[in-house]
Amino acid sequence: MAYKVGVDVGGTFTDFLLMGESGSSSVFKVLSTPEDPSIGVMRGFEEMAASFGTDKMSFLSSVEIIVHGTTVTTNAVLTGNISRTGLLTTRGFRDALQMRRGIREETYNNRYLPPSPLVPRYLRVPVTERTDCDGEISTRIELADVEAGAQIFKINHLDAVAICFMHSYANKENEITAAERIRKLMPEAYVSASSEIMPQVRFYDRVSTTVLNAAVGPILNRYLSNLIEKLEVSGFIGVLLIMQSNGGVTSARVVTELPASTLLSGPAAAPVAGIAYTAIHGVRDFITVDMGGTSFDAALIKDGEPIVTNEGRVNRQALALPMMQINTIGAGGGSIAWLDEGGLLRMGPKSAGAKPGPACYGLGGTDPTCSDANLMLGFLNEEYFAGGKMKLDRGRAETAIKERIASPLGMDVVKAAYGMYHIMNVNMASAIREISIRRGFDPREFLLVCAGGAGPVHAAMIAEELEIPQIMIPKESSIFCAAGMLLSDLKHDFVRTYHTVLKKDGVDLERLRGIVKELLADGNEVLSSERISSDRRIFRFAADLRYVRQYHEVSVAVEMEWLESYREDSIKDAFHRQHDKLYGYALKDEKTDVELVNIRITAIGLTDKPVFPKGAFMGSDAEEFVKGKRPVFIPSLMDFNEIPVYDGDRMGFGHFLRGAAIIEQVNTSIFVPPGFEVTCDEYGSYLMSPIN
Amino acid sequence: MHANNDSIDPILASVLQRRFKSITEEMGLTLLRTTRSPILNEARDFVTGIYDHNGRMLEQTEYIPILAFAIQPVCQKIIAYFGDDIHPGDVILHNDVFTGGNQNADVAVFKPVFHGERLVAWAACKGHQADIGGAVAGGYNPEAREVWQEAFRITPVKIVEGGKLRKDVWDLVFANIRYDIVAEDIKAQMGGCVVGERGIKGLVEKYGIEKFRSHVEHLFDTTEKMVRSEIRSIPDGTYSAQSLVYYDGIHDGSEMLINLKVIVNGDEITFDYAGSSPQTEGFVNAPYAATASAVLLTFLMLINPDIPHNDGILRPIRIDVPEGSFLNARFPAATTFGNSLTGPNSDAIFKAMAKACAEKVTAGWNRFLGFTITGTDPRKNRPYVDILFLALKGGSGGTWMADGYDHIGLINCAGGILAQDYEMFEIQDPHFLIKHEYLTDSAGAGRWRGGAGVETEFTIRGTSITGIAFGDGIEEESKAFGIFGGKEGELNSITLRYPDGTIRKVKSKEIVRNIPKETVFSQIAGGGGGYGDPFERPPEKVLEDVVNGMISLEKAKTDYGVVINASEMTLDMAETRLIRGAKA
Repeated sequence: MAYKVGVDVGGTFTDFLLMGESGSSSVFKVLSTPEDPSIGVMRGFEEMAASFGTDKMSFLSSVEIIVHGTTVTTNAVLTGNISRTGLLTTRGFRDALQMRRGIREETYNNRYLPPSPLVPRYLRVPVTERTDCDGEISTRIELADVEAGAQIFKINHLDAVAICFMHSYANKENEITAAERIRKLMPEAYVSASSEIMPQVRFYDRVSTTVLNAAVGPILNRYLSNLIEKLEVSGFIGVLLIMQSNGGVTSARVVTELPASTLLSGPAAAPVAGIAYTAIHGVRDFITVDMGGTSFDAALIKDGEPIVTNEGRVNRQALALPMMQINTIGAGGGSIAWLDEGGLLRMGPKSAGAKPGPACYGLGGTDPTCSDANLMLGFLNEEYFAGGKMKLDRGRAETAIKERIASPLGMDVVKAAYGMYHIMNVNMASAIREISIRRGFDPREFLLVCAGGAGPVHAAMIAEELEIPQIMIPKESSIFCAAGMLLSDLKHDFVRTYHTVLKKDGVDLERLRGIVKELLADGNEVLSSERISSDRRIFRFAADLRYVRQYHEVSVAVEMEWLESYREDSIKDAFHRQHDKLYGYALKDEKTDVELVNIRITAIGLTDKPVFPKGAFMGSDAEEFVKGKRPVFIPSLMDFNEIPVYDGDRMGFGHFLRGAAIIEQVNTSIFVPPGFEVTCDEYGSYLMSPIN
Repeated sequence: MHANNDSIDPILASVLQRRFKSITEEMGLTLLRTTRSPILNEARDFVTGIYDHNGRMLEQTEYIPILAFAIQPVCQKIIAYFGDDIHPGDVILHNDVFTGGNQNADVAVFKPVFHGERLVAWAACKGHQADIGGAVAGGYNPEAREVWQEAFRITPVKIVEGGKLRKDVWDLVFANIRYDIVAEDIKAQMGGCVVGERGIKGLVEKYGIEKFRSHVEHLFDTTEKMVRSEIRSIPDGTYSAQSLVYYDGIHDGSEMLINLKVIVNGDEITFDYAGSSPQTEGFVNAPYAATASAVLLTFLMLINPDIPHNDGILRPIRIDVPEGSFLNARFPAATTFGNSLTGPNSDAIFKAMAKACAEKVTAGWNRFLGFTITGTDPRKNRPYVDILFLALKGGSGGTWMADGYDHIGLINCAGGILAQDYEMFEIQDPHFLIKHEYLTDSAGAGRWRGGAGVETEFTIRGTSITGIAFGDGIEEESKAFGIFGGKEGELNSITLRYPDGTIRKVKSKEIVRNIPKETVFSQIAGGGGGYGDPFERPPEKVLEDVVNGMISLEKAKTDYGVVINASEMTLDMAETRLIRGAKA
């Protein structure tokens, strides 16, 4: 038997999705071990082996692929536990990293401090050298400065060095000279040169990305070599792939060269999972949301393609690598309710987390949370939370809501709980508006794919807020991301800056072709190293373009042939269309000049994906799965009603029911309001929509 | 706690507040995406808002704080001006500072929102335009003596009537403005208003007009209550302070006085500017709305930053500015410097309030000094304009429990305007950067030090160069002030080194013509003032700044009383105690 395993390490749980050749699948969950996440990962494999009645050794030797989503790099940056890193940079500009272009994100808050710089100033060493914006070297590099830098770095016992010089995207010579010297002088250090990882214009973005890359390099290396050793000792001889924030996977070896590509990779598998789950319905436009204990992640997929951005931020520092555009807000089951000074009810962004957790967990939490409200309203079952493994305490939930919210507002507990539920829904709907309406997409034209343990209780009401007519709740909504990982292709991005106005006599054709060739070579090299045969390689080109005098570029998909033969009209037309779509206007008729800034390639290596088994038709009436009735608060009535509770774990393809109802599964619970109906599709996912 | 009217649902009030905020943000994003001038989409010098049928602020999103009070007064004036001659499909244009405007170059678009035949609200966008007519391009004219040399005045005028563009009016307006992109950007603002209109209409349709209005009133009341409780926490009393503005752009050595009395009485607060200098003959004057905005943004820094921005926030605040003073100049004064009086004005407010709420004020912020370059880029043979945002951003003042913010820039924007990226700066304009770094010892010393300033140096490789200096903070007395024993921040300066070796020191307000190619431009944007006695700053923090080159060894000793062993970079605690002890 050859297994594929998706492993998603989260803040509270590490989720596993195990798939066999026949498409059989099973789900495992263990508590995460933040001090060394590989402990939890190995524990999961032990549980899996035990469930097959075998030992870890023989089980792991039958696993051919492990796809792993890790948050070790993200956590290192968020907690400040990054490697000690030094920076070599052009003399005169060593503060760009710390300045962050002088932004203060909270306008009126004079106590709002900047984040501490990833590299303190005394470890940002200036080097006399200079390349101008045309790539001409105007000052040769002073190697003595590089050596002096190495001396300082060694005295300070640094593990990592970042190198970023002005305009090195246009000519990397000085930067590479410095990198070679540093590698020689500091053979143990992790060295990252900006022109090697991201030869792309914009100094602050590049220096920040390069430093982030260097600062998490040793951490990811250590973690992966430790994990690989443990896996190998336990008999694993298959392939280990790592999830990246661009929505693709990569080999463990390649990722160590670009460890920053794993920053923000946590939610990046959701769009891919969404594509698989929605495909059987022919749906190509959808929004995925994933609501867990503390955060809510939303992503928009149009024409089967997730939106990619180059303007990421980690802990207020720029990360300019291509990544899935995902909007994360602090909204989850643990979100705490509070009243502001004027007496308005607010929810989050603070969360009670797993410890002490919502008041109803009975683990010492006294703040009223979203889960407490959901319990009071009957959406959650105090006897059947996590499949009955955990009992919820209704009394504590009631006390918390009463003391903090209901009494001060002079209303009863139920009304207050409903207020909490409602504000949560409004907040999550706003987060979806941000990725849809604000980017020119009408959410009513999208399917809402709602995942995460806490999401399905809110799904229908979020959809109603946004007038979204159809909702999908994947069967195993709580391991949605782990499933996405198993479905991801290998994906690598490369970029070159070529700044020019798109005009027949202005574009240097040789240079353009040279760049296309270089990018193809980069892509082929990395995919070869991952042993992807040439028939399984796909290359996609894009150009970053803007109108003359605009500041921001728009990334536009282009054919390789358009670049090689310089099809100016095709490139410009694609840009005008994209610009019009994003911003509602184009300047085609005005004949405004278009500038090229960057050329990009995405090199994709197709992986063998597990096939989700389609269930056999199990009948239409779900009546037999009603396991009881309980009072649940119905928002449209503003009152409780006795409604049926279905056993979702026994339902399958074809089953149909009408609201009001609750569908209970081990890891999640779905609220079907009156006026909504639900059908189970072939994958066991629930499709919910208002009855016409 | 508080008695609710039976028909009021506090949850719905929360929902409306969230929706209002998201509507104004959506309007703002529309502008960021669709405008063409970098002042709008890069520097984000605009505000979007929605107002009720009486012109009272429902919510607004000002991307830079100086616009916090830029729309409401005009909205109310427009309602009064047109009376019942406001109809569905109308769009009104306005910039005039003598009918409620805050700055000539800030042009507002207003769109009334109707529910059936009933006026229910207004959507408005106001943005700083690339040009507004007048004697010089771009609207900054230090040589202006009257409003007409600064701008084309647009009093309230319908540019769209009943959904139909009034071509005659449109053409008249844009016949008086230099750049085509202004017309495009005004269209973008009209688009932003449509987004706001759609949002409000949806809410009114969903909840019904009566419910909408009663809950809006409730929202105003809760906000008002929050602000009143903030004011009540300030001890009653009259707090006075003065602040000086240096150089009127005409008479060397001239000074203008801001004379402020803040009266806190229970839950109300009054800012009284009686006794401030009369209006100047040049352009160093403000219209009332600019002064009121300066007061409001400084006040917002003294209270809980999460209070919603609606009409309720304004109710307990009174701002009295004598007409004919340079803070509320009479027609037809030139007033383009009005927004730039925010720095000196907030200095006065912080100084006055220091006596009332010591832990909330900051020390002085570095005063704004900008230099705009216009010329020709020989590489592309086309004209260019550069506002040099990267060079003008100094430090903010320290406050209780927090150092000032390094390189944040003028208080009017409070970190909302970004410095240009170096590489893009060199690609877009013919400038070759030599240096852009924090300036050692620029921050005022204090228990919480000021924010550091920056020094910028580049070679100008353009031709036909003219520079317009615009600001303050170069006279010795205009240093960002220290407070409670904190020290002053470093001054601003702008110097031109011509290719022949001549050094030209630039005044704070002047037009410098015929700057030759290869001139080296140097600017220092100074630091913010320090808060509290520097001798009380933990020596480790001082050492950290010395190690990082933010403070020199010498200043560590003289300003902070901290002695550092230079070769080892370690604290000499014995010597430090000796110096610090001697002072005590």
